[in-house]
This record gives sequence, structure tokens and C-alpha cells, in this order.
Amino acid sequence: MNEEHDSTNHPTEQWMAFQRVWGETFNKMMQLGFTFSPDCAPPDFMRQMRSGIFQALGHSWEQFLRSPEFMEGMKQSMDSAIAFRKMTNDLFSKVRHETHAVARDDIDAVMLTVRHMETRVLDRLDELAARLDDVAGHLNGNGSHPDPAAQDEPTPKTQPPKNRGKNPTSRS
Amino acid sequence: MNTSISTANPWAKWQESLVTESFAYARRLAQLPSLLQRAQLVKKGVTPSTLVYEEDRLKLLHYPGKEPPRYATPLVIVFALVNRPYILDLKVGRSVVSHFVERGFDTYLIDWGSPTYADRHLTIDDHVNGYISNVVDFVRERAGAAQVSLLGYCMGGTMSSIFTALHQERVKNLILLATGIDFSTREGLLNLWARPEYFDVDKFVEAFGNCPAEFLQMSFLMLKPVQNLLEKPLNFFEKADDPDAVNDFLTLETWLNDNIPVAGEVYREFVKYLYQQNLLVQNKMPVGKHTVDLRKITCPVLNIMAKGDDLVPCAQSMPFNDLVSSTDRKSIAIPAGHIGLAIGGKAQRDVWPHTCDWLAARS
Repeated sequence: MNEEHDSTNHPTEQWMAFQRVWGETFNKMMQLGFTFSPDCAPPDFMRQMRSGIFQALGHSWEQFLRSPEFMEGMKQSMDSAIAFRKMTNDLFSKVRHETHAVARDDIDAVMLTVRHMETRVLDRLDELAARLDDVAGHLNGNGSHPDPAAQDEPTPKTQPPKNRGKNPTSRS
Repeated sequence: MNTSISTANPWAKWQESLVTESFAYARRLAQLPSLLQRAQLVKKGVTPSTLVYEEDRLKLLHYPGKEPPRYATPLVIVFALVNRPYILDLKVGRSVVSHFVERGFDTYLIDWGSPTYADRHLTIDDHVNGYISNVVDFVRERAGAAQVSLLGYCMGGTMSSIFTALHQERVKNLILLATGIDFSTREGLLNLWARPEYFDVDKFVEAFGNCPAEFLQMSFLMLKPVQNLLEKPLNFFEKADDPDAVNDFLTLETWLNDNIPVAGEVYREFVKYLYQQNLLVQNKMPVGKHTVDLRKITCPVLNIMAKGDDLVPCAQSMPFNDLVSSTDRKSIAIPAGHIGLAIGGKAQRDVWPHTCDWLAARS
């Protein structure tokens, strides 16, 4: 499916690739040491050396962060984190329910119900607005029957209802 | 005398440097205890603004400027959902907002605020066809303009593109800044890490509700771990006795560490529809009851990218101009990073004055 996987499927090959990356890094870092001479301006030389080391390290890390080993490790740690989180969520829900208190799941359920109701009301308002437009069109003498094909892909509202938000300047 | 020492002793330079550097280190170390206190004094946003509209956690800031607007079309800046928007108005001389305000644009900025657990069900549809739509209508009414110009940064750019595709008649110009559009590229690490075989976003959102700010922060740090965790602190320490450098560092770090969570459903949709299925470029992305078709964008488009962007690589933004129907379209790519594109020296010197010219000619 992807080049990284195809080229490094075998564990030995993966280990070799990993070794090669770090081998190259240390090689580059060692080479920097041999460019040294007492005539170099000391702070500049140190900065140059440090920058070279970081560049080599950065390059190696970049390769490592793209490697299947890292991705697999990342997946495992994410799975563990998710499992732990779910476990604590379940535990707290159970404790709250046992003590006749409201758990987060209950709030979620209420919120979802409210959202569904909101969606239904807004959909109905959209339908009513479309019908009103149609009626207004008929009254003005240029009404047209709605195109059934257009109803499959609802067009976005160009004039939404009055702003839902607050205008602090107009309030003051 | 120095000459005679240096000829006699080849290490003289090193000995002298050792003494000088030791004093410099001591001087820098002495500065460190006051850093925390100075970090608390960092100003978040420098251009004078007024709050003109609020909806749930969203706040719309208006930058009135010293003179009345010179251009009829107001500009609305749509920021990303993952950080605070004051990066666009970071400090004097590093403010994107001030470029537009000083040029006479009627400028507005959307601050999304920080979502709470109650906002976990908010979707891209709520943001685009709800919040952005309401803000655009409010600004149109307030400015007496039929259309607005939109500037979207990062995730805000993706949402601005979606809004423009769905409501083209309300957008006069579209400016995108480091915006992810085509997620098929393998250049970015985030694209690799978010692949469905390694990251189950449904389980993640189900367990965590909102995407935690710490998780996002860690992901961004891990994009360049050596640079972010080693090189940056060391480089900073070398300049710890330079007040300007310290101020720059603290201002930027304050913003970088000021992460906010992302509403769970938005995060799920972004990862699933964009990073994993790449539906936007295929004109198949569902947003509520609609399907986004980028070909419906016909307004002038300016697409600004950073060549060194590790978060949104150029390859992710570049295809946008070929996917829209606009005839007036332009791309700019500069040698900078994701944040440097907004506040970097080159961006401030070249990109933003040029962007103001581009917008002025079309407003």
C-alpha cells in the first residue's frame, strides 16, 4: 500500500533501516569533529558544530517519525490511552449512577436530543421559508414550480434568519 | 601583546573565549528567574479593537482604525480552531491585522473562543453555515456592503474555502494563508500519523469528547522534536541577555503554549473527511445537508503558502487554484514556516504589503 511498508516489512530489514539511520547520524556528528582547528573563532565553531549535530539529529528523527516502527508504537500508545480513558469514564459514570447523581453520559444524551430537535425545527423553518418564497413568487406573478431535482441537493441559505448572536455595542 | 600571545599560543583565542563566554553565561543565567514574570506581561493583541458581535463562545473583533475605511468591502479574518487568533496581531511590527487596518480596510477578526465539553457535538456545518454565515451577514449589514472579503488562516482557510463554495454570492475576495486543501500528500507528518490504519478518530472522539489541547500541542512539538525541544531553548539561552530577543521569544512562546481544545465532531470530520478520505479536492465533502463543490468558487483568489511549512506543506495548499473556477487567481510561496508566514520578517516586509495591494485593487 505504501513504500515505507513495502520496503521494510521484515523485522530484520526494519532493524537494519533503523540502525542505518542512527549510524549515519553519528557518522555526520563525528565528521564535524574533524573539521576543527585551533584557528577557528571558538564561539562560531561551537555554534557551527552544534547546528550540524542538530541538523543530523533532526534528519534522523524525521526518518524515525516516518518509520513503521514509530507509527506502530504510536498506534499502540493511542489505543492504550483511549482504553484507559474509556475505563475511567465508565467507572465515574457507574459511581455517579450508584449515588443517584448525573453522569456525563446523561448530559450527552440530553444534548444530543436537543440537537436533534434543533435540527428538526431548523429543517422545518427552511421548508416554510422555501414555501413562503414560492407563495410570494406566485403573488408577484413570476412563480415557478420547484424543480424536484434541485430538492435532492438543498441550496445553502443566502439569507439566514436574523443573527443569533448578540451585538454588545448595540446593547450598551 | 595579543599578537605575540596568539603566535606563541595557538589556543589563546580559545582561552579568551572561554573567559568571555563564562561571563556571558553567568549574565544569561541571572536573567532566567525573571522570565516567568516577564512572560505574564506579554500583551495579547496590539491593534485597538472593539467587540461587536458575540455568539456562544465566538467573539467578533472590529479594528476601527484611526480613519474611516477607504474601501467599500469589509475584510473578515477567519482564524483556525486550534490556537488563539492574536498571532495575527502579535506585536508592533509583527501584526498582519495592522497592515490591513493602516491601509484603510474595514477589518474584522473571528475569535472562536475555547470550546467546552458542551460544544463537543458542534460540526463543521455549525461553524461554516452557522457561525461564519452569521458573522458574514452581521458584517454585511453593519458595513452596508453586499459582500465581504474573507482571509482564512490554516484550518480557518479550509473553512473559508468551504463557506465560499457554499455561499459564493456573499464573498467578494478569498485570501488563503497556509491552508490545507489536498491531503493526499505524504510530505507532512500529520498526514502520515492520521492515516486510518494508525489512528481511529471515532474511538478517540468517543473517549475524549473534545480533542484535548495537550494532545494537539504534543503533536505539533513532535513534528520537529529536535528543533522544538533542543535547538530552540539553546538558541534562546544564547540571547537571554538581549531584551528584544527575550521579548520576541516570550511573545511567541506565550501564543504557542496557549492551545485550546477542538470540538470533538469538528475534529472527527476534519480528520476523517480531509486527512483520511481527502474528500474536499474530490468535491465530495459533506457539510451538513450540502456537498462542497470547490468549482463553485468564482471570486478572485489569493493563495499564500510557506515553503518551509511542516504543518501544512505547500503541496497541500498548491492545488487549490486549479480546483476553483475563478479566473483571477494567484499563488505566493515564500521561504518561511507556518507561523513565519504571518509574523516573519519577510512576510511583514513583502507579503502583507503586497496582499494589501492585491485586495485594494479588488475592494
